[in-house]
Amino acid sequence: MKVTVDMSLCQDHGQCAIASPAVFRMDDEGRLVYEGEPDESLRDEVEEAADVCPVQAIFIDG
Amino acid sequence: MTGTALDAAPYFDVADPSFSITSAAVHEARERSWYARTNYGLAVLRYEELNRLLKHPKLRQGSVAWPSHNGVTEGPFADWWDSWILNKEGEEHHRLRRLMNPAFSPKLIKDLVPRFQALATELIDNFAEPGRCEFISEFAEPYAARVIAIMLGIPEDEWKAVSTDAATIGLAMGVTLRQDLPKIEEALDRLYRYSDDLIADRRRNPREDFVTRLVEASRDTDKLSDAELRDGLVLLIFGGFDTTRNQLGLALQTFVDHPDQWRLLAERPELGGKAVEEVMRVNPTTRWVTREAVEDFTFQDLEIEAGTTIHLWTEAAGTDPRVFGGNPFDITAERKPHFGFGGGAHHCLGHFVARSDMSEALPLLAKRLRDPKIAEGAEWLPDSGNTGPVRLPLTFTPAS
Repeated sequence: MKVTVDMSLCQDHGQCAIASPAVFRMDDEGRLVYEGEPDESLRDEVEEAADVCPVQAIFIDG
Repeated sequence: MTGTALDAAPYFDVADPSFSITSAAVHEARERSWYARTNYGLAVLRYEELNRLLKHPKLRQGSVAWPSHNGVTEGPFADWWDSWILNKEGEEHHRLRRLMNPAFSPKLIKDLVPRFQALATELIDNFAEPGRCEFISEFAEPYAARVIAIMLGIPEDEWKAVSTDAATIGLAMGVTLRQDLPKIEEALDRLYRYSDDLIADRRRNPREDFVTRLVEASRDTDKLSDAELRDGLVLLIFGGFDTTRNQLGLALQTFVDHPDQWRLLAERPELGGKAVEEVMRVNPTTRWVTREAVEDFTFQDLEIEAGTTIHLWTEAAGTDPRVFGGNPFDITAERKPHFGFGGGAHHCLGHFVARSDMSEALPLLAKRLRDPKIAEGAEWLPDSGNTGPVRLPLTFTPAS
């Protein structure tokens, strides 16, 4: 599974990091950092992160 | 109203009844300084600074201390306030948010669009007189309340009782909280019982609906307890009602001043979504978002002490010329995001619902209420905190 965040849309709200802390996290400055190719076992929570993103900036491939 | 503090930052007494947070004085202050001082603490006036502080790791959501600041430290209301997801931080907050977020999924809200449209049409059809209405009592209030009834799956004719109690609880946001407390706690008790019945019903008879999704929400083996469900439902009723009613009233206010944009919206209903965003940029009901400094820190050379209250002024930032240039109200423009739904971990939980229901209501109103004007007798909440019209008499040319 490949995860892409459209950084031109991302507003660093961090809802993805709440939904899927294994894949998304906010750094000390409050900026998003994420894992682009997470393990398949995390699919449910990654899909949830994409779904709850307030600006719908998360895309899942494969 | 305006003075000069020692450090020459602008100063505003925001509790002064004549203060207006959207006044020329505030806009002028924004041109001199990115922040102002107020009788509560700091106010942030510009877009970029607001955007960074909204999600700053050294700030927490700032309304947790409101009841105790007003002398209310125990009892049902204080307990309910403490239960709010908005007033939780860290893992305690994240756990609740993780469990509640999926029920508000945009995919699930899409199915409600035909019901929002039917509701808006019914309300307009039922205006008492042709060519005029009192927009709040005849449209905004029943629309906001019945959207909540639709979400909760309760009979829409029960909306009046629920909205009356929600409005009573709304008194808690005012400075007379302490005097109003007995009424507020009675209303809270009724909404608790109402919510308990709903939760119990959906446990027995699960349906394809929002309350069932909340009741069944789980993560690993974790679920929301009955108390968490009840507190959450009452917060949803309270948080979704006033805000939507007020924001619809403010939308009409803005469009009355921009008749060409109203006509455009009538012709191009697909602009409903962008119209909502543009209205919330220039005329948001939530005039400020509250934060509190968790520890001492420095931001743009300003030393901020732990415990400082920081109000993020959404209209000042939404009309910041550094970002929006000459700031024309234009529902076709591509804009940077506004702050009307707050942001960060506490970003409004119900925003997909609010965006969807207002995006349907506004184009239908634009089509049916041509050339609206505000008539005599409008009454407004103070222009700070959460604002909007209390009464908004309109005249218009009816159309079908």
